[in-house]
Amino acid sequence: MLDLKTLYATFVRNFTIQIRAYPKDFFIGNILSAIYTSISAFFMYHLLFKGNIKQSFIDYSGTTDYISYIIIGYSMYHFMVRTLLNVSRSLITELREGTLESLMLAPFQRVQYFVGNMLQQTITVTGEAVIMILICLPFGLKFGGLDILSTVISLLLSFYAYFSISLILAAVMLYTRDTYISQNTLFSLLFLICGVTFPIEYLPASIQWLAQGIPVTLSLEIVRNSTLLGVIAADQAGNFLKLFLISTVYCAIGFLLIKKVETTALEKIHG
Amino acid sequence: MSGFLSCFLKVLSAEMKKQYRVYFFNKSIYLSLFLWPMLTFITAYYNYKPFRLELIAGGMGYINEKNLILFALIGYLCMIFFECFVQSAWMFSFERINGTLELIYMTPANRLAVIMGNAAASLFGSIWLFIVFACGIIIINLTQLKFQLWSALIGIIFLLVLSILWGMFLNALFLFSRDSGFLFTVLSGPMEIFSGIKIPTAVFPLWAKAISVVFPLTYIAEMLRRIFLNGANIYELRGFIAASIIISIILLAVTLLCLKLGEHHAKKTGNMALF
Amino acid sequence: MLKAEQLSKTYETKDWAGLFRRKQNRVEAVKNVNLEMHQGQIIGLLGINGAGKTTTIKMLSTLLLPSTGCITVDGLDIVKDVMAVKKRINMISGGERMLYWRLTARENLWYFGQLYNIDNKTLEKRINMLLEKVGLSDKQNIPVERFSKGMKQRLQIARGLINDPSYIFMDEPTLGLDAVIAKELREHVKQMAYQQGKSILLTSHYIQEVEELCEYVYILNQGEVIMKGTPKELALMGMESKTLCIELYSNHELLHASILEACHEVEKDCNIHWDADNSRYTICSRKDVSNVVTKVLLDKQVPLKGFYLQEPSLEDAIVKLSKNASKNTSTEVSA
Repeated sequence: MLDLKTLYATFVRNFTIQIRAYPKDFFIGNILSAIYTSISAFFMYHLLFKGNIKQSFIDYSGTTDYISYIIIGYSMYHFMVRTLLNVSRSLITELREGTLESLMLAPFQRVQYFVGNMLQQTITVTGEAVIMILICLPFGLKFGGLDILSTVISLLLSFYAYFSISLILAAVMLYTRDTYISQNTLFSLLFLICGVTFPIEYLPASIQWLAQGIPVTLSLEIVRNSTLLGVIAADQAGNFLKLFLISTVYCAIGFLLIKKVETTALEKIHG
Repeated sequence: MSGFLSCFLKVLSAEMKKQYRVYFFNKSIYLSLFLWPMLTFITAYYNYKPFRLELIAGGMGYINEKNLILFALIGYLCMIFFECFVQSAWMFSFERINGTLELIYMTPANRLAVIMGNAAASLFGSIWLFIVFACGIIIINLTQLKFQLWSALIGIIFLLVLSILWGMFLNALFLFSRDSGFLFTVLSGPMEIFSGIKIPTAVFPLWAKAISVVFPLTYIAEMLRRIFLNGANIYELRGFIAASIIISIILLAVTLLCLKLGEHHAKKTGNMALF
Repeated sequence: MLKAEQLSKTYETKDWAGLFRRKQNRVEAVKNVNLEMHQGQIIGLLGINGAGKTTTIKMLSTLLLPSTGCITVDGLDIVKDVMAVKKRINMISGGERMLYWRLTARENLWYFGQLYNIDNKTLEKRINMLLEKVGLSDKQNIPVERFSKGMKQRLQIARGLINDPSYIFMDEPTLGLDAVIAKELREHVKQMAYQQGKSILLTSHYIQEVEELCEYVYILNQGEVIMKGTPKELALMGMESKTLCIELYSNHELLHASILEACHEVEKDCNIHWDADNSRYTICSRKDVSNVVTKVLLDKQVPLKGFYLQEPSLEDAIVKLSKNASKNTSTEVSA
């Protein structure tokens, strides 16, 4: 029988801390980011270019709704950043606080530890995302073709995808004992190549090829398909499977890397 | 007077050296200082790709499909100058956590010199790599570049002065408050949009133009664009020069006020060591 | 001379009382403290946690503005002439903060020296001298992050002396240090005061350290000075009774009556306990009975194994005085 105590304990711990000391400034910061993104997209589309988008954009994205394309992309990017920030940093935080050793005694509990961190974060971020979407509605956000089932599956798979990336980032952070440079470099890179604010087809072919190998790219595609283009779940089954497989590979690599780096990390403390 | 000046410069240079050694100790930090601005700029460039540039809104004058990359580059180069100070002010707030802020306050060192040194260290540490990259891009797009030497020199001087003053202002502001992270978030975002970096302020509605007036970056970005894309001379830039001088004076005055009030506030509430 | 008169500090904070209301709290951290520091003197500032020691030190080192009262340093007012005062003082704190970990020992000292506007030649000499003094000369070019706790503390001392201050405030300087380093530090402190004529104000929870170093001690409790004096005077103040112990080689029952009579002549209520197993008398009294007991023992020609007074302890005095003071004073004032 799977022992879920660690998962539950981690979840409750994080949730309690957040409820008691919820960084309202961080929350306000997120809301403001949503507003800035929406304003930027609105100004660009309506004021600077007066709605004159290229046919290539319509062909690549499948939609003429530029504003919604941007806002959906940015919202999912926000989910990804918050997941990565929380899950990837959890181990390095333990290292800095001196509790890593005791944590590393039971390998199976490690999985639950990460999942517990992620679940709590996902619930908080979902709440923020709902508010962000409400704020973006006046700027022209429209769910042109919303398929509920497809959206739910896309979101769940996206969370799994972001979780898988966060494990690899956690290993990198633990190895380099740095969070600031590694996380921000990764965020900037993913923001550029994964199709957050423009279709990846505009990028050079080699970069597109690289982007296809990152689960974030496909997650953005399936979420946009489900919310803007009305593509039903059955029609996206192939994409769902592909994303699940890529994410699982990332998860496996992530766990292996963490295991390998853990012992080195401890040696570095004592050495 | 000369005694005051030599003391001021002593503190300024000490602070610059200290900040540089504390924050730029690692070679990998240079990589990120180059990569991040470069990635931001490339992303911004690709953001224009979905649009039909030949149908750009009227009143833009000198911006067209051919010089768009330079238009964006100049804007982002200016923004990087200003952004690095937001970062440095945020890093300076770690002095509070470290306990060294108290030690600085305990010395008779000139407070303006301390924050100026802090801002200047960030400038030299953060900018030079991006300039290297920018020079590369400019060389590729040399045909689109047209400028007069004196205008260019004045523009660059104003860029340096305004960005350092902005940095000092932020440092002083961050000294005032414990919640520096929040200030960092609030000031970083709007600067990119409302200073006309990605979208020229000429197309803004009135309320957005009113916000853009507040940021010194608005003036300097537009000034440099006119210098390097339009070949504007000093006479044609007189409005921008006047605005930049006025803003510099305001920034300096507000900085001095924040420093004085900030220290007084810290001494009254004891929050110098709180974080 | 440093003089603090009627020094008080009240903190005002606002806490949330419900979702939209805020309640103002006022905490009087220091109330009407008067103290003096003279050249070459080491003063102790003691008290239990939360007594107001750190707040007092911060006011003296110009980091906090007193709510009322005034502080003068060599005639200069700490508020009006603050920059001139800053040149004459420095503070040394226990713990590992307050240093730049990425800089080397030398670089840390150089930086702070620059902030005090010390000319380069003098600064160079002084850094060499200070590093030598604190035993860090051979480690001067190592980043502080690689220092042990003791080494960081020694560097703190060097930093605290960089401007050759006349007045030094030491806030728990031996916190967390091992016995050897702590002893070295105490020797430094004595040298600074007695040989260099510096005035030092010291706070510490290590009572033995205070007894060894301080000529004069102020005891704070809930922001007020409840007692002041030399360590010996304070220890005696806190001690209600003296305890005299007399150990004999064998049981001298004939002595009982004589000792009892002699002690009761001095103090009627004194307590005399005879431990037959160890052949020991333990006499507890408020007055000194050692003279009369000595006389009895000489008259009876009793061979003694041991004869000693249990020394009054400053630690007991502080605890006792603080407890007494807590019973009498009121606590924080809420608005």
